[in-house]
Amino acid sequence: MSVVVPVESVATVEPIKAVYRHLDALLTGIDDLKKAGYRDMTVVTPFPRHEVEEMIYEGRPSPVRWFTLVGGLFGATMAFSLTALTSANWPMILPGGKPVVSVPPFIVITFEGTILWASMFTFVGMMLLARLPARGLPKAVEDDRFSSDHFGIVVENVGAQDAGKIRHILEHSGAVEVSGGGDAHGEDSSHA
Amino acid sequence: MTEPTYSAVNKDVLKPLFTPSATYMGLLGVVLAGLAWGGYCWAIQLLKGLGVAGYHPPVFWGVYITTFVFWVGIGHAGTLISAVLFLTRSRWRTGIYRAAEAMTIFAVMTAALFPAIHVGRAWYAYWLFPYPNQRQLWVNFKSPLMWDVFAVSTYFTVSTVFFFIGLVPDMASVRDSSKGFTRWLYGVMCLGWRGTDRQWHHYMAAYGFFAALATPLVLSVHSVVSWDFAMAQTPGWHSTIFPPYFVAGAIFSGCAMVITLMLPLAKLFSLERYMHVWHFEHLAKLCLFTGGILTYAYGTEYFIAWYSDNPYEWGTFMDRIYGNYWWVFAMMVFCNCIAPLPWYFKKVRTNYTWLFVISVLINVGMWFERYNIIASSLSHSFDPGAWVYYVPTYIEWGIMLGSFAWFFLWFLLFVKIMPSVAIAELKEAMRPPLKADELAAK
Repeated sequence: MSVVVPVESVATVEPIKAVYRHLDALLTGIDDLKKAGYRDMTVVTPFPRHEVEEMIYEGRPSPVRWFTLVGGLFGATMAFSLTALTSANWPMILPGGKPVVSVPPFIVITFEGTILWASMFTFVGMMLLARLPARGLPKAVEDDRFSSDHFGIVVENVGAQDAGKIRHILEHSGAVEVSGGGDAHGEDSSHA
Repeated sequence: MTEPTYSAVNKDVLKPLFTPSATYMGLLGVVLAGLAWGGYCWAIQLLKGLGVAGYHPPVFWGVYITTFVFWVGIGHAGTLISAVLFLTRSRWRTGIYRAAEAMTIFAVMTAALFPAIHVGRAWYAYWLFPYPNQRQLWVNFKSPLMWDVFAVSTYFTVSTVFFFIGLVPDMASVRDSSKGFTRWLYGVMCLGWRGTDRQWHHYMAAYGFFAALATPLVLSVHSVVSWDFAMAQTPGWHSTIFPPYFVAGAIFSGCAMVITLMLPLAKLFSLERYMHVWHFEHLAKLCLFTGGILTYAYGTEYFIAWYSDNPYEWGTFMDRIYGNYWWVFAMMVFCNCIAPLPWYFKKVRTNYTWLFVISVLINVGMWFERYNIIASSLSHSFDPGAWVYYVPTYIEWGIMLGSFAWFFLWFLLFVKIMPSVAIAELKEAMRPPLKADELAAK
């Protein structure tokens, strides 16, 4: 969760990174950090885990769904307008009393338009909300192990006075490796 | 069989990528030769006109439309497996859904060639789409052919986006296990994915919506394709049973194609651990179910033709059995209604050879089903004086063969550049490593 925290006047250290091999240890780490009042962390996993999502987002749904709704309404309006307005633009009167703008056959195209635009809006919404193509991520999340078999927590914007405490929490939660937390020039990267 | 570890999943799934084997190059050669032949046949048609096809009034739909419907049908299994089985949380989808989705996209790409081939003057194929023009002429939105343009292009767009979204985390896995230019390239293709909590949170929400949107779409597309026929008054076509009948047929043929493609894939690239006989057994069951619906629909068509007391309708249906196209009808019934029945025995549906043989037969049968509908109805329509026996020419067969080559070419390229099993989702379905387990073991 990388909520933007205003940079305080206190000196911050480089981000602290913990690497885990076990899921339960990772969850302990997240929980302990939350209890100690640190929420500005990024959790990295090779695959989605509902436990992690639940701990960080606490049941708040992703706003992606609003994009889907708006896209669907937009698509339905656009597709129906396309069929109806173009037919009205070239009013070919057919024998048999059939209306120029006849709703039933246009529903098919309206349906397809709804699905198309709902999908496209969902896609755009996801890209915006998930900040893809990725930008602004802490350098520490770039670890080849995180797409294979390790989990990670990266804590940012840590004040110099808190670094020791955070490292202590992470080390005791069962991380296989804790690094970072030295001053911003980064000479300290000792391993647990 | 013990569950593989997470790193073993990455290793096994990424192993087939990049370096091609001799078998692979051999297959690629065969496919390119087929594509060259298809291209040659199409070139002749473009130069000489549609006269080189075997059309004769009143038959102007033939092998091209048959093959178009065939490929759109094949394209249904992938999205069914990835979207419907995702929403129903079927565990057996994880191993096969990626390759099935890729198959869907390539099948629709193949199908999309046929309207252009069929219209003859392919350079005017853009007339199919509505576009603003000086004469303010618009396409006829009341025509089912127009609905088809919208349905197929929407289906292609949505399933392609769905496919690429699914690929993003796995592309990151490829990036992290490679070096140099490949690493950079896959880094771009995965959009810099890192698997952070924010990325997964929105990704999973969007993925769910895509699945929910693709589900009605998959049912609508083949319904719309069936309306290309059912909206016309041609005997043998004008029937309300067509949409469900076509959708069942599409899923039937699509699942059979998944078996046909994935059995060799699993063998060739040692992916049997992830594409297990268990997956194929489930696909076979899905084929049995949809094949049953299809057989029932065939029966209903005949019953209604008889019960309607419409001489044209009944005449056409009798002609399908006893007329020139009796062998097409026989192929259809044998391959679609009888051949899959041995799958009711567990021994048969868990045997690789029988799975493969029957799935190929189903594909053959489903092509003949569409040929049966199109050729027999058109060549035997209202005016007996105009009845003809439409026989396709070598040009049409050549283009059809070329379409298979085009489809297999894309699939062969896919298995070398993209992970054919969904790595992240496979791991999601596995039991995660827990410290508590390790302590308990000690």
